[in-house]
Amino acid sequence: MKRLLFIVILLVTATVLAAEKPPLITRWENFTTANGIPDDKVFCLAVDGPRVWAGTEDGLVLIENGKVARVYGTGDGLVHRVVMGIAVDKRNGDLWIGTFGGLSQFSGGQFKNYTNLTSGLLNDIIYGVAVQDYWVWVATTAGISRLDTSTGEWRNWSEFNAPFHEPWSYGIAPAPEIGKVYFAVWGGGMIEYDIATDTMKPYTDPDEEMELVLFRNQGLVHIIVSNVAFNPDTKMTWGSTYFGLTGYDGRNWHNYLTKDSGLASDFINAPKSRGNEVWACTDKGLSFLDYKTNTWVTYRRNKQNGHGEIEITWPDQKKTTLEAPTSLAHNYILNMEFQGKDIWVATAKGLSHGIREPQMEAQLYGNAKLDRRSTRGRQGEGAKVSKDGFPKSGQRPAGSQ
Amino acid sequence: MKFNPSNNPAKFTRAISLALRILVAFSFAPLFGATPKIPAAESEPSYLTPLDLQLSPDGSRIYVVCEGNDSLIAVDTHTNRVVAQVKVGHKPKGLALTVNGKTLYVANEWSDTVSEIDGATLAVRRTLKAGWGPTSLVVGRDGRYLYVANGIGNSVSVIDLATGKELRRFSSQRSPQHMALSRDGRRVYVSNVLPHLRPYDEPPISELTVIDTQKQVVAERILVPGVIELREIAEAPARQGGYLLVPFMRPKNLAPLIRVEQGWVLTHGIAVVRPPLTRSPVAGSPSPQVRGSQSSHATVSLNPLPSLSGRGWPAGPGEGEVTSARVTQVLLDDIDYYYADGYGAAFTPDGRYALITSSGANVVQIVDTARLAGFLRRNPAVEIANRLDSARQFVIGRLPTGADPRGVAVSPDGRKAYVANRMDDSLTVVDLARLRVTSTIDLGGPKEDSRLRRGERLFRDARYCLQGQFSCATCHPEQHLDGLAWNLETPQLGRDRVANRTLRGIAETAPYKWNGHNPDLITQCGPRIAKFLFRSEGFNTQELQALVAFLRSIPLAPNRHLAANGQLTDAQERGKAVFYRRRTNDGREIPYQNRCDTCHPPDTHYTNRISTDVGSKTQYDTISLFDTPQLDRVYEDAPYLHNGMALTLEEIWTIYNNYDTHGVTSDMRKEQLNDLIEYLKTL
Repeated sequence: MKRLLFIVILLVTATVLAAEKPPLITRWENFTTANGIPDDKVFCLAVDGPRVWAGTEDGLVLIENGKVARVYGTGDGLVHRVVMGIAVDKRNGDLWIGTFGGLSQFSGGQFKNYTNLTSGLLNDIIYGVAVQDYWVWVATTAGISRLDTSTGEWRNWSEFNAPFHEPWSYGIAPAPEIGKVYFAVWGGGMIEYDIATDTMKPYTDPDEEMELVLFRNQGLVHIIVSNVAFNPDTKMTWGSTYFGLTGYDGRNWHNYLTKDSGLASDFINAPKSRGNEVWACTDKGLSFLDYKTNTWVTYRRNKQNGHGEIEITWPDQKKTTLEAPTSLAHNYILNMEFQGKDIWVATAKGLSHGIREPQMEAQLYGNAKLDRRSTRGRQGEGAKVSKDGFPKSGQRPAGSQ
Repeated sequence: MKFNPSNNPAKFTRAISLALRILVAFSFAPLFGATPKIPAAESEPSYLTPLDLQLSPDGSRIYVVCEGNDSLIAVDTHTNRVVAQVKVGHKPKGLALTVNGKTLYVANEWSDTVSEIDGATLAVRRTLKAGWGPTSLVVGRDGRYLYVANGIGNSVSVIDLATGKELRRFSSQRSPQHMALSRDGRRVYVSNVLPHLRPYDEPPISELTVIDTQKQVVAERILVPGVIELREIAEAPARQGGYLLVPFMRPKNLAPLIRVEQGWVLTHGIAVVRPPLTRSPVAGSPSPQVRGSQSSHATVSLNPLPSLSGRGWPAGPGEGEVTSARVTQVLLDDIDYYYADGYGAAFTPDGRYALITSSGANVVQIVDTARLAGFLRRNPAVEIANRLDSARQFVIGRLPTGADPRGVAVSPDGRKAYVANRMDDSLTVVDLARLRVTSTIDLGGPKEDSRLRRGERLFRDARYCLQGQFSCATCHPEQHLDGLAWNLETPQLGRDRVANRTLRGIAETAPYKWNGHNPDLITQCGPRIAKFLFRSEGFNTQELQALVAFLRSIPLAPNRHLAANGQLTDAQERGKAVFYRRRTNDGREIPYQNRCDTCHPPDTHYTNRISTDVGSKTQYDTISLFDTPQLDRVYEDAPYLHNGMALTLEEIWTIYNNYDTHGVTSDMRKEQLNDLIEYLKTL
C-alpha cells in the first residue's frame, strides 16, 4: 500500500513538474512567394477544419494538405486585392473577407461583394470581420458595420451614434458566451457591445486623459487597441495595444508589459487566446503566455542564422533560451490562428505553420538539460543549449528548413 | 392670411399633392372611364389552382398543393378521385415527402411557414417557421433535416425536424422557387427564377445553387449564362449519368425589339447540367467569371460525386477531358412555333423520357433522352443554344394538357405521369407506354369561370403571341418582374432601354410605362402591346377587360420588413424622419420638389403619378422625364431606376444622385441613408 502511494505521489509530482514546462512549437513550415503565396505580407488568417485561408496584400490564399491549393484575386471576383480580415461562417461554410476595397462573401465558389456605394457598408477600408449567428460584423476605418444576413439590414456605429472617441476600428471579437461583442478601436480603446440591451460601452484609459493606464491593472493599458480576442474557455477578453497586452475578465484588468513579463514587445498587432493560452503577435516575435502558470514563451527568428529562437520566461522572470532548426518566416507578426495543436502565423514576410512535435520538444528540453529547480536563484542565467541548437544526436527533425 | 409654405410645409405639401391629384384625375378622366371598375373585394370563387404535386412512394396517392384555396389534396390513383383535403398556410407552393411517405411538408409562401402533415390522415401535425416566402422544400434522405427555399428571403433554411427549429441558412440567388434532392441524397439543388444583379447592358446570368447535405455548405454555384427563370430540377438516373435538366427562358433583351421571329425576342429551353468527366483538381474552386453576351456554355466546377460520375455520357465534339461540370443549353421551341414558359420537369424511372411542362403553351413535352444525348454528342454546345431546329431531334411528343400546366410527376412504376393544370383545377394523366393523354382528373374546383379567372388564364397563355412565343407571364414571372432591362423602343434603335416593372399592386398607380405614356392598363395591354410585342391580333375587347381586371387584382405580398403590429424599429423610425425631412443636416431648407414625399406621397402608393427628371438619363435615353414608380414592397423590385442601372437601393443615391436631383441626399451620413432604406422597405 505504501509502495502504491509512493508511486502515485511520484507520478503526480512528475506530472506537475512536467506541466511547468510550456508546450513548444518546434517546427515551422513557411510559405512565401517562393512557394506559392501571391505576396509575402500576410495580414490575417482563418481556419476551417483542414483548410487554412490567408489574406495577403495581393489576394486570398487557400492552403490544404500543406500546400497552396488556390489563390484568389480580383480577377476571380474578390472585391480588392488587399485582404485584411477573414471569417468563416461555421454554420454554412461561407467565407467573409474584409479588404481595403469592401467586403466579399465567398460561397459555393463565387464571390459576392459589398461596398460603401452598393450596400450599407460604412466604409470600404476594412480591418476586421467576424461572424456571429446571422450577423456579419465589419470593422472599418469609419466605424463598425453589421449586416444581418437574414434580413439584409445594415447597421453602422461610429462617432455619430456610439461612444467612439475615434472611429478607426481594427478588430472584432464576438463573445456569445457572455452576450457581448468586443471591438478594438485605434485611439478609441476597447468597445463592448451588449447584445441584449443593444448598447455600446467604451473602455478607455481609466482617467480618460492620459490615453494609457497609470497603474498596472487599473484599466485598459492604452487606447490604441490594435485587435481583440475573446477566450470562450476563460470568458476573458484580450486586447492588443501598441503599448502592451491587456486582458479583461469582466471586472478586472490584467496588463502585461515587456518590463515585467516575457512579452517580446509592447507593440502588439493582435492577441489570440484559448484555454490557458494567450498569444501576442508583436513586432519582435510571437509571444505565448501560459496564463495559469505565468510562464512565457517567445518565438523569434535569429536574423543571423535563420534558426528559431525559443525564449522561455519562467514565473520568476528567469529566462531559458532554446534554439530550434526552423523558425518563423519573420519576426514582425501580424496575426495568428489555431488549428488543433498547430498554429498559423501571419507575418510581414510570409506565412508560418507552427507544429508541435512532442519528441522534438522533449529533445529540446533535454538538450537544454533543463531543470526548473536548478534554475531557481540563478538570476539571468539561461539553460545551456548545444551550439547549433539542434539535439545532440545531430538528427534534424523531418521537414526542418 | 397669406399662406407661407415654409411656415407649414406639411400643409403645403398636402395642398400641392391634392391639386396634382385633381389635375391628374381630370386629365385622364375619359381614359379611366374605359378601365374596368374592380370592386375592392370582387366576389371570387375559391379556385383550387393546383401547382405542385407528388406521388406517394407506393404510387397509390397523388398529393397536390393548391395555391388558390390554401389546401393540400390527396387523390386516389386507382379511382382518380379526391379522397382527402386539408387546409394549410396561405399561398402554398411546394410539397415534399419523407422517403417512407408518412409525412408531407408544404411550403406556405405568404405565411412564412411549413405545414407538417400526416401522410395517412392528412392532418396537420405541426406548423414550422420558415424564412421569408417559402416556395419549395425537400426532406433529407435520413429525415433529419428539411431544406426550405425562401423566395423572398433569397435563402435556403435548414430546419431540424426533431426540434422544428431552423439550424442554419444558406444564401441563394434571387427568388429561389424550386428544389430537388439528388438521388443519392448528398446534394440539394436550388434553382432561382431571377438572375444575378448585373449591369443592365450585360446579358443575364442565372444560378443553380448546390448544397452539400453532408458538409452542410454551399458546395457550388453553377452559373447558367444568358438565361433567366430556372424552374423545376430533374435528375437523370445514375446509370444515365445523373445529369440535371432545368427549364429556362432565354431572353434577347439587349437587342432592339424589332424582329420577333427566329427567336429574336426570347426562347424557351432546358439547361443540361452534366457532371465532370474527371475529378476536379480543387474542390470548391470558383467558377470562372462568365462573360460575353452570346455565351451559352458555362464551364463550372462541380465536386464530383458518385451519382454524377459521368457514366454513359461521353464528351461532345472538341470537349476532350473536362474537369468541371458542363452546362449546355438546348431549346424546346420549334422554328415556327414556340413552347412558352417551361416549368415542370421529371424523368421516368428508367430515364428513357424526360417530361417538361410548358405552362404558356398548355403542353407537356416528351424528351427522348437517348436522342438528346446523341444530339449533344454530335453538336458543340456553343452552337446550339440559339438553334430552333434542335427540338425536333429529341422531342418526340407534345401532349395537350389543361390550362397552365405546372408540376409534373411520374408514377413509381413508370407507367403514368400526372400534370397539375393550375388554371383548370385538374390533373392530366399521361400513359407513358403509349405517350398519350388518357384522362383528366377533376380536382373539384368551382365550375364557373369568373372574369378574374379568365383574365389570369389570358395572362398565362402564349397563344395570343405570334407563334406562341410568349405570354404576359413570361416576362412577369410570379406576376412580378424578370429583373431585366429591355430594349423595347423602336424609334431610335438601341436607345431607351427600360427595366421591367412589377405587376403587383399596380391598380391605382397609373400611368404606366416608364415614359408615362399609357394612362391606364387598357392602353398598356391593348392594341399597342398586341402589335408591338405580340405581333398578333392580341386580345379582343372582352378578353382585354378580363386581363386588365386580373392585373388590377394582383395583390402585394405581405411586407416582411414591417412588424405585424406595424410598429417601426428605431432605424425605421429614423428613416421615416429622413423621408419626411424638410431641412438638411446643416439646416438648409430642402426645396419642395426635392423632398422624398413630394414625388412619393404616402396616400397614393408613394407615387405622385407624374413623370419627373431625377437626373437618371443616360446616353441611351431620348427622354429625361420618367414615371415616378410606386414604392410598395420596393425591396422586391431590384434593379432600380428606369433602366435598372441601380442594382441596389443604396446605389440610387450613392452612385446616381451626384447632384441631388433625386432628393437631397448629399448631406446625409451613411447611417442616415441606411435608416432611410430601412424605412423604404416597410412601405
